[in-house]
Amino acid sequence: MSQPAGAAVAVEGVDKSFGRIAALRRVSLWVEPGEAVALTGRSGSGKSTLLSLLGGLEQPDAGRVRIDGRAIWREPHPARARRELVGFIFQRHLLLGTLSARANVEVALIGAGVRHAERRRRALRLLEEVGLADRAEHLPSELSGGERQRVAVARAVANEPRLLLADEPTGALDSRTSERVLDLLFRLREELGMTMVVVSYDRAVGARADRTVTLIDGQVQSPSETALSAPPV
Amino acid sequence: MFAIITTNLLRSRARTIFTAGGIAVGVATIVALLSFTQGLRDTADEFIHLGGSELGIFQANVSDPTASILPAASVQQIAAQPDVAAATPLLLMVETVRADPSAVVFGAEPSGFFTHNLVLVAGHRPRPGAREVLIGDRLAEQLHLTPGGALVVQGRALRVAGVYHAGVLFEDSGAVLALAQAQQLTGRAGEETDVVVQLAPGARASAAGAAIERALPGTQAISDPQQALRAGADGTLISNAILVIVVIALIVGAISVANTMAMSIMERQGELALLSTVGWSPVRVASLIFGEGIALSTLGAALGLLFGVIGGGLLVSALGVSAYVSPSVTAWGLGRALLVGVAIGVLGGIYPAWRVTRMTPLKALSGT
Repeated sequence: MSQPAGAAVAVEGVDKSFGRIAALRRVSLWVEPGEAVALTGRSGSGKSTLLSLLGGLEQPDAGRVRIDGRAIWREPHPARARRELVGFIFQRHLLLGTLSARANVEVALIGAGVRHAERRRRALRLLEEVGLADRAEHLPSELSGGERQRVAVARAVANEPRLLLADEPTGALDSRTSERVLDLLFRLREELGMTMVVVSYDRAVGARADRTVTLIDGQVQSPSETALSAPPV
Repeated sequence: MFAIITTNLLRSRARTIFTAGGIAVGVATIVALLSFTQGLRDTADEFIHLGGSELGIFQANVSDPTASILPAASVQQIAAQPDVAAATPLLLMVETVRADPSAVVFGAEPSGFFTHNLVLVAGHRPRPGAREVLIGDRLAEQLHLTPGGALVVQGRALRVAGVYHAGVLFEDSGAVLALAQAQQLTGRAGEETDVVVQLAPGARASAAGAAIERALPGTQAISDPQQALRAGADGTLISNAILVIVVIALIVGAISVANTMAMSIMERQGELALLSTVGWSPVRVASLIFGEGIALSTLGAALGLLFGVIGGGLLVSALGVSAYVSPSVTAWGLGRALLVGVAIGVLGGIYPAWRVTRMTPLKALSGT
């Protein structure tokens, strides 16, 4: 695998509301290239909203979100920018139930216009990387929860993203399986040099991350908040 | 992409089958009617070339050419035209054979070229004045008749003198008797349905027809099958009916596909949003939905082609016209029906595909 550099993440004074509910208020956050950040907080604190803003799935009401200086939402082709910069992992693996594990990984490569033979080769290599070479032709319904999540990880890194966003990737897994998935995630992050932001309640994630950022009622409340409020030098 | 389209259609098999089935019915109707009208056209072609003629003279503005009535004297006037080599009158009797109502009985002059051109395969020609009839080989086979048997025409039993082969479907599925006898049986003395004409060498059918129409006002000279179909109100009606059915099939089919695809994208919002998060452009996601719509309608159209070919035969039987119309399936007819099927998918896929491009990934992922 090539070694793409991690992306720099800059969130400056971001507000986001859904109707009358303010999900994020004046949130600022900088993540250095290659850094792994654990995003914690109670349910409804705005973690997933912040993640979706980082991935360009939503537009902030105010403030700026930039990944390597690019505001995905404002790009002429947001889907392309997302593909080039970001990989997503969700709590629910969100695999396409009618497709095999291999085909699920290939789906990410279809968007990038990779040719059929090359797609197949790369998908198989990625499945081998996550330890599922022998399960490549199995449907999601034939895989365990941990295996499905590993397929989702393979899909997320298929386009060699510079920023990996994971929304409670171990939330639906038992502790042993969670540990395996986290091993995989942090190993891939090391190998690929990706920047990683992981939303999780799991303390194990915080322990492995470079730092932890806590959101309370839509605002950053981490011990290192002050340090995070200014751009990295 | 093709694999994803296929698996998505297979996911809701019942819905796919019902939607494709609906399209198939529409396309099958179109195929059946097209094959029926092509059969009618073929029949019309045979109709105006009865007994090897090149021109048929009918009463103008009749609902159907078989309803035409010409006075007996018209044949002499037609024969006197310079472009005409020979002319012989015919009286067509429909629904007069009890054993097979679809068989057409031709009253023809025994000395005319129509009767003369029949090739006898069994028996002999009717004797002058005898109550005898010639029957086509198809009718003979169908009714298991041989020379010496009896055929009931207009309630009268006539002795089968011989069996002929003409090479024309509805001549071979019918019978021929002397014109005078036919007029007597039908009570139409001095009347004939049409006059069939053989042209002089070098004469053009259109010019000869125009000259005859001028010489005999109230007649219509028919030399090509399209003209024959247009001459009859039934042919025009069928052509117009096909157009209406095509339009209805397009509208109903497109709504059906649009409904199916709209339901499908509502159920798959999360999945489609996922494609967006992994970098599929809105156009690519829309093309997936569009492709599913076209695949669905193409499947329906393919089934429709199959059903239509079978349905064409059933339609002819149901209408009781199998003796003189043989459904004719042409590549162009199938192609047109297939085009309608694909058009259904294109029209039906537009709205769902547009909706997909308006979906916000996050909203779809969260199901809001």
